[in-house]
Amino acid sequence: MAGAALKICIVYFLLCYIDEICLSWQCLTRPIVIAPLAGLVLGDFRTGIIMGAELEAIFMGISAIGGVIAADATLSSVIAVAYTILTGASITDGVALAFPIGTVLTSVNNLSMSLISNPMAAYWEKLAQKDLKQFKIQNFLFAALMKLIPSVVLFISVAYGVDGLNKLLGTLPPFVMTGLGAASGMMIGVGFAILTAMIWDQEVGIFFFVGYVMVAYLHMDTLAIAILGAACAITMFFSNKRLIDMKNELLNAGVKTAENKNSEEDFF
Amino acid sequence: MAKNNLTAQEQATLKKMFLLSHLVFISFSMVKMEANGFMMTMEPALEELYADNPEEKKEAVARHMSFFNTHAVPFSFVAGLAYAMERQHSEGKVDGTTIENIKAALMGPTAGMFDSLFFNCIRVIAAGISIGLCRQGNFLGTIIFILLYGVTQSVVKWLLINTGYTLGTSFIDQVFNSGLIQVLTKCASVLGLMMVGAMTAQMVSVPLNLVINTTGAEGGEVVIADILNSVFPGLLGVVALFLMVWLIKKGWTPTKLIGLIFAFALIGAAIGIF
Repeated sequence: MAGAALKICIVYFLLCYIDEICLSWQCLTRPIVIAPLAGLVLGDFRTGIIMGAELEAIFMGISAIGGVIAADATLSSVIAVAYTILTGASITDGVALAFPIGTVLTSVNNLSMSLISNPMAAYWEKLAQKDLKQFKIQNFLFAALMKLIPSVVLFISVAYGVDGLNKLLGTLPPFVMTGLGAASGMMIGVGFAILTAMIWDQEVGIFFFVGYVMVAYLHMDTLAIAILGAACAITMFFSNKRLIDMKNELLNAGVKTAENKNSEEDFF
Repeated sequence: MAKNNLTAQEQATLKKMFLLSHLVFISFSMVKMEANGFMMTMEPALEELYADNPEEKKEAVARHMSFFNTHAVPFSFVAGLAYAMERQHSEGKVDGTTIENIKAALMGPTAGMFDSLFFNCIRVIAAGISIGLCRQGNFLGTIIFILLYGVTQSVVKWLLINTGYTLGTSFIDQVFNSGLIQVLTKCASVLGLMMVGAMTAQMVSVPLNLVINTTGAEGGEVVIADILNSVFPGLLGVVALFLMVWLIKKGWTPTKLIGLIFAFALIGAAIGIF
């Protein structure tokens, strides 16, 4: 178990670090990227990929609420994949466990943020004034350290927690797993509900149902829907832009007659 | 066009800044948020502009070590703009507080605009397409996600850091006063909402397993879920979703919602409706 834990820990650390220092924000740490790679090092690539899809759906909207993260998508995805592959549990059970695990583990990053990162702020300010080169080097090291903390937690949970978790689940009455399975179907809805609440406005709200009908009644592919949606959005953009251009032209015409001056230049 | 006018020195600095602008969230803290990342990004610019003026450099460092927070992509736009303003400052044209004020003024609008564009639109589309592929066990889905969401962010960052530098401050007035930002946000919302709707239909389920026997005789069972689905496919899922949207708008936190779902699902499973 410890060997598997170490492997998965290295994948976690590398992806998190690369995501922070060179590829853009929250791309490599999403479940859809990290779960397949975790599956790959544990020897069951396919399970990892499928779980990546399910976990991404669950965690899609979760990280959206400003600053406060309800559940750590990255850590819990890795642990869910490890649990499923190492114990041979079903994918549904693994996915159902991801969320409770994630909620608990969020405290790891939150704690290290408030205990280490926040007090460090004053130190960084001094260091930047004194020596910019040192400032750069120490930031890179510090970022690695901050990723090392959850990596160690991950190692311990996989190396010593998976067996215990498995035994614990074995003693529970069967309805608990049924309930967790049902919960994961609805939990996907939480992410979408957060997104909907953020984007929703009366003028465009109806497009939610356009998308819904395209799948529920017409059984269309997501890519096809994305293309049709883009067509709608682009058309809307240009017709609105034309209105704005017209408004600006009218305003400018007013300015021109008033000042008798050519304001065309300002456009370029 | 304007890019050709940049000197080799400027191009080199912008390139370094672009690479460093990926460090947005480095040493992130609640106190200064992205200040460290911004300082790291500005470092090549400050080294270039204040190479032989340590006093000015100290002031500039203090400026860019102050609280800063926006979305990761327009971050590079603000950095490019700050570089342009620092150059003017070193020539004595712009004073330091103006730079700080413009940085502060840009946090809110840029974050809002790019959250709706990248977080709520491009990411949702990328995830939607990738989830479809990955569900069939196809690793291509993951690669598409990285290309559509990750690489796109980097490319746009590169464009924006140059735009920020070449267009300077006059551009901001133009864009923010023209009203195009609101239009762009709205159009991104259309696309985002359609994808969310589509994925709700694909993935959200309330696996009701309730059977009522109306006649008491064999074969008289009525499966409630089937009736509801014949009215509107996935009716329960949509109802559950909008119930949650309503609760979120009332101020419920995601953690609370998740707790509610667990309680509901476990009780439901215990009494046998799932």
